[in-house]
Amino acid sequence: MWTLLTSNAEFVLGSLETFVESMGFTGFFTAPDGWKSVAMIGVAFLLLYLAIKHKFEPLLLFTIAFGMLLTNLPGADMYHTELFAGGHVHWDSFVGTAGLLDYLYLGVKLGIYPCLIFVGVGAMTDFGPLIANPKSFLLGAAAQIGIFATFLGAFALGFAPNEAGSIGIIGGADGPTAIYLTSKLAPELLGPIAVAAYSYMALVPVIQPPIMRALTSKKERLIRMRTLRPVSKQERILFPIVIAVIIALLLPSAAPLIGCLMLGNLMKECGVVDRLSKTVQNELMNIVVIFLGLTVGATATADAFLNFRTLGILALGVVAFAMGSAGGILLAKLMNLFCKEENKINPLIGSAGVSAVPMAARVSQTVGQEEDPGNFLLMHAMGPNVAGVVGSAVAAGILLSFLG
Amino acid sequence: MITLANVNAAWTWSEMLWVALISICLVFTVLVLLIGVMKLFGFLFTAKQAKTPATTLATNTPITQGQLHEDEVAAIITALRLYTSALHDRESEILTIHNIKRAYSPWNSKIHGLTQMPNRK
Repeated sequence: MWTLLTSNAEFVLGSLETFVESMGFTGFFTAPDGWKSVAMIGVAFLLLYLAIKHKFEPLLLFTIAFGMLLTNLPGADMYHTELFAGGHVHWDSFVGTAGLLDYLYLGVKLGIYPCLIFVGVGAMTDFGPLIANPKSFLLGAAAQIGIFATFLGAFALGFAPNEAGSIGIIGGADGPTAIYLTSKLAPELLGPIAVAAYSYMALVPVIQPPIMRALTSKKERLIRMRTLRPVSKQERILFPIVIAVIIALLLPSAAPLIGCLMLGNLMKECGVVDRLSKTVQNELMNIVVIFLGLTVGATATADAFLNFRTLGILALGVVAFAMGSAGGILLAKLMNLFCKEENKINPLIGSAGVSAVPMAARVSQTVGQEEDPGNFLLMHAMGPNVAGVVGSAVAAGILLSFLG
Repeated sequence: MITLANVNAAWTWSEMLWVALISICLVFTVLVLLIGVMKLFGFLFTAKQAKTPATTLATNTPITQGQLHEDEVAAIITALRLYTSALHDRESEILTIHNIKRAYSPWNSKIHGLTQMPNRK
């Protein structure tokens, strides 16, 4: 018996050696950039901590961080950058090589997830304040200035124009739009851009108030706006149809995002497909958020994330946010020069033009109430806020037509 | 092969400035067009509403809940909720009970709830 066992000692040792080599942790020591994987796992832990402990956009940051963790575990082979190299899917080697996250990433690569999220966002958005006060569209447009200023800033820092466009869109403060545009223009930057976009969206209450106070006087912050007119059901139903048609005809490249946004909104407003409306607001939205977060996190591999370009993207992202907020406030001040006394706009609602629904509108309300607790700006700020969603999707469509 | 990166690499500052300028102008143009459309909407619908409400006001009957718009009902309910919630003091939510002494009471004693059977040997 003993001789039978010892005669195969070489086989046993060889098998054990193969097993140990196949274990993931050895990759930390054998791979040339093993330390980078360890660093990325540290970044994933930090993001998980921020999402769980400090509730920084937890729905997305949590899943992004976990995707980042999975993709940087050596040997897991769940995501392969080489399958998407050169900006297109290598279908020939896909079936043989692809891991779970590669399959899920197809939803990002083909632009499916951001659009599905926009259906849910549309179903959760009330366009009533925007319909009641269409001038809010101007504030939503002015807040997009940050996108184009950052586009130039990124080019000055040495990014290629397509990369600069993707970085600039962070200023739109709209996660799905940023992911949609980046997946088309500069997929290699998807990880850093998504992390920057969602981190800064979570930091809106920190970034915006100092800018709002610096650019407005106490007298301006005290302006009480006229009550919005009631919006009829017919207007609410016609709005998404008309906007979808106009935008699709003028800017076909923005049609997927705006079309899906308006589809969701029409589901909510028409009142005859409540089941669909509830599904896209809850189940569909939640499922897509999981897939989107995991796969976007998976693109943050050590090689793509740990470099000076990521630092540049993070710095440019905060500049984009600040400039967008400032653009909205300054245009509101400019509009006040031409408005009658009873139609004056509180400039604090201008900063809500940078999407980030409804966080940016809440910030306008909070800063306004610091000066006058009886001043309710929330509904007024929701106008520019949802106009910002439309504005950033339009800006993304324009950048896509120029750079795509 | 001409790739996106190759095409983009050839861009100069002048082209970048033009793209940024044209893009921001396009954003404003599209959104100003939407303002025009929404203003037209507002004009048509407010004109329509202005003709109809005279009948409800003329009858001078109180408005029932069914006649209110869902937003108005939501606003009233929210205001009432905020008002009634504000009537109460905010609790500190800190527990100050450190221990509970359970004094003996025959009323909840289990032994008195059981049938006492004779001890057979």
